[in-house]
Amino acid sequence: MKKTKSLILVCAMGLMLLGCYPQGPEYVEDLDLVYTNHNDDYDFASKGTYARPDYVIKITGQPDLDDNPETIPDIYATAILAQFDANMADLGWTKVEADAPVAPDIVMLPASLETTTITYWYDYWYGWWGGYYPGYPGGGYYPGYPSYPVVTSYSTGTLIFLITDGDPDVVGGNGSHLIHWSFAANGVLTGTTNVNRVTKAIDQGFKQSPYLKTN
Amino acid sequence: MKKIIYIFLLTTLTAGVANAQLESGSGAFNSYTSVTYSVGFATGDMGEYISQPSWRGMTLEFGKFVTPEISIGIEASWNTFFEEMDYATYTKDTYSLSGKQYRYNHQFPILASFNYTLQGDEILRPFGSLGIGTMYSQRNTDMGQWRLKEEAWHFALRPEIGILYELGEGSHLKVSGKYYTGFSAGDLDAQSYFALNVGIVIMK
Repeated sequence: MKKTKSLILVCAMGLMLLGCYPQGPEYVEDLDLVYTNHNDDYDFASKGTYARPDYVIKITGQPDLDDNPETIPDIYATAILAQFDANMADLGWTKVEADAPVAPDIVMLPASLETTTITYWYDYWYGWWGGYYPGYPGGGYYPGYPSYPVVTSYSTGTLIFLITDGDPDVVGGNGSHLIHWSFAANGVLTGTTNVNRVTKAIDQGFKQSPYLKTN
Repeated sequence: MKKIIYIFLLTTLTAGVANAQLESGSGAFNSYTSVTYSVGFATGDMGEYISQPSWRGMTLEFGKFVTPEISIGIEASWNTFFEEMDYATYTKDTYSLSGKQYRYNHQFPILASFNYTLQGDEILRPFGSLGIGTMYSQRNTDMGQWRLKEEAWHFALRPEIGILYELGEGSHLKVSGKYYTGFSAGDLDAQSYFALNVGIVIMK
């Protein structure tokens, strides 16, 4: 009898402990993160024009410089880029074409990560934007290198915006273009993409980046 | 529903202990065993990190009587604190991160205890205790798919006051308040919390 009661006691204590771990996130939206970083020395206020491609590339690994990069479906890209433009307009920016007679002040490069993580930005950005960036031939150059400490791990389905200077001659010490603003919305492009989640994340990215405002 | 399960388990637990003792017979008290449910209220640095009380906690104590009033023992305790933060933006240097944080703080004190029990009228016995030992703290901050884990083994002290109410020969209901302080160590500053304990003490 005593053994039975002891067993009941032990089982009860075990169940009690098992049932006691607190709950975490319940919905996938609870895991959404918006990360922004910027170069504190870069004077956004003195700029006014920007250019961007009309597509959002997929980063699936090392780029094949002989092929055009894969892009995300237009239905999503259009909504994403429109939301970016709307926020930029609110901050006083004017959109121009990359090949306009007067070079844009800054260039924004959008991408979707299809890898589980990226360890070094340098590896994955090498060559992607050679075909778009004003003043550069396609392929084989270093399009961007952060000018500030960065988060080095992102999940699959992360939407990324990078801003570099529009002047092709403005490069860092290693010959690459410096990234002056970065935006990453973790996981918003996973599975069935919910455009509302994506546009909400973009709005949040701008909300936490008031230094992007121009004069 | 969860609260009902906790109450059921606690009732089963305490009833089992009480019945087991009642059958064991009586005699002079040489030792004690205590099982208590513990509710925690974080203070100081821990209170700033998690403002919600801990409804998840338990304490086990064993000890020997040196005299009818004085006993020494050992205590192992556990409390888990949890708080789901609202969506917020956290900024450091040049970067900002927005999202929901899920904060967890697990406390595991392991202490030697020195207790003094007033004899009183033998139905109600006030007592005081001082615990000294170590406390393991683990603080987990979950955000998105990432977790920031900080941990420490603190040197810890714990004063306690409470009262024992005799339920039957050798078995007592225990109600007490404890204040755990773990001094700064490892990844964490000093961690402290107040614990309200209710449970059963069996004396043999």
